Amino acid sequence: MKQQVDRILGYILVTLMAAMTLDVLWGVLTRYIMGSQASWSEELARFLLIWIGILGAAYASGQKMHLAIDLLSTSVSPKNQKLLNRVIGALVILFALLVLVIGGSRLIYITLRLGQLSPALRLPMSLVYAVVPISGLLVIFYKIWEWRSAPEPQTQD
Amino acid sequence: MEVLILVLSFLILIGIGVPVAWSIGLSSVFTMLVSISAIPAFTTVAQRMATGLDSFALLAIPFFVLAGQIMNHGGIARRLIAFAKALVGALPGGLAHVNIVAAMLFGAIAGSSVAAASALGSTVGKKMEEEGYSKEFAAAVNVTSSTTGLVIPPSNILIVYSLASGGVSIAALFLAGYIPGILTGLFLMIVAAIWSIYNKFPAGDRSSLKLIVRTFVDALPSLFLLIVVIGGIVGGIFTATEASAIAVLYCLILMYFYKEVSWKELPNIFLSSVGTTAIVMLLIGTSMSMSWIMAYENIPQNITELLLSVSNNKYVILLIINLILLFVGVFMDMTPAVLIFTPIFLPIVTELGMDPIHFGIVMILNLCIGLCTPPVGSVLFIGVGIARTSIQKIIRPLLPLFIAMIVALIIITYTPGLSLWLPSLFGF
Repeated sequence: MKQQVDRILGYILVTLMAAMTLDVLWGVLTRYIMGSQASWSEELARFLLIWIGILGAAYASGQKMHLAIDLLSTSVSPKNQKLLNRVIGALVILFALLVLVIGGSRLIYITLRLGQLSPALRLPMSLVYAVVPISGLLVIFYKIWEWRSAPEPQTQD
Repeated sequence: MEVLILVLSFLILIGIGVPVAWSIGLSSVFTMLVSISAIPAFTTVAQRMATGLDSFALLAIPFFVLAGQIMNHGGIARRLIAFAKALVGALPGGLAHVNIVAAMLFGAIAGSSVAAASALGSTVGKKMEEEGYSKEFAAAVNVTSSTTGLVIPPSNILIVYSLASGGVSIAALFLAGYIPGILTGLFLMIVAAIWSIYNKFPAGDRSSLKLIVRTFVDALPSLFLLIVVIGGIVGGIFTATEASAIAVLYCLILMYFYKEVSWKELPNIFLSSVGTTAIVMLLIGTSMSMSWIMAYENIPQNITELLLSVSNNKYVILLIINLILLFVGVFMDMTPAVLIFTPIFLPIVTELGMDPIHFGIVMILNLCIGLCTPPVGSVLFIGVGIARTSIQKIIRPLLPLFIAMIVALIIITYTPGLSLWLPSLFGF
């Protein structure tokens, strides 16, 4: 299950990154050849960065890439280490649930109600912010998966 | 009260091993809950995280990361190392200098010290071990020299500083970084030479002029990128973001001609760049929320008043700020430290007559030292991991190199001209 999520998420992220690269290069090109840059290309690039940053954060969380200090977890007994990892997982889930899922959903709700559109693309801002709760759910998925599948002592984070 | 909750909860969270980015977010939420009710607090943090990334300048970061990754895999890094070796390999402790010079060249082309540390650690570091250097010394040189690339442009962290400072010119910051970055590199070379003579590490053979020219010609297409990127930005032809995207395109073209990696690898290179980018972006997002709650609680103003009540001598204040930042750098990664502490310290130092460009360089150079210290030292971890040694063992050879970095920091702090002369030539 985790592998599938990893793979799909990986595909999406690589596509977004490639799209962002092409988009900015397109912007430079049009600015030189036609003298002016389409205003949508800069806006699209910024929105893609928000998506890559926040969705990628969930991916990085699943791969345990985020920087952490492991001084404590490497110096306690394996049994306490397991407990510690669960506490850490629970705290990350807490943040993902409260801020990313609940706060993010409310953010979407507010922008939807205001009917806020982006200046150039006329894209609903709620669509841009939708990545926040999605990423939150993915983080929760990864942490629960770790909780269930990683009982043996780990040394790496 | 709020400050106490913020600092204590942050230290406890990172202490038990919660990843730094989440720790910053969680401690911001806890602090907000004191004075703001729950749902609006959660929404504010979520919004800060998303809008914090909504910046065209920040787009340069993923592109410079990607360019660095392509360089690593596509044969560009190898050519730079060969050129550095022909240039300085014959000095006492030859390969150590190769590492330092290559790190500076690498920093001058890509913008990420982590990429430099992993590229050089796996190539020059291995070679150093084979030739009889201790692997701890090799790792220590690699770790410290890789951070010089953060001051030598292009530099992602200088872009973050430009954002945090409210728009100090990226071109000016880039120009300002050259002399301090090279100076720090030279200091590291002096220490490495003394250490190598003392430990009787071998010097390489003297390279013939022909070899130097040949490796230079080989490295020329890679070095040309430097002219395109920095020349383009300084000359006002394109923005830092556009330059970074062009750097990606240029690296892809070189990769095509060098044929050292198959195109099938490209998605993996993209994905690992996304990972590195997302780590930085999450740090930026959560730091933005911490910065917001600090401003909301008037914490920067209180720190300013406190500092100015201790002294209003520029040199004393700068010393105190440097000491605080050294301490911060030990516990905090560079990106959040820049985002959180720039709004606090910049108003103080500009009031005392310091140029924001100069302060940016001092701050980054200072935090570079923290990147090489445990417990939160991303470059240290990578360097140690690649060399397969341990942090305890690397400390002894690391210490003299630290002293070199601190001496460089003091000189650069108190000699503004070293940072400001080059930008002034270009009218900044």
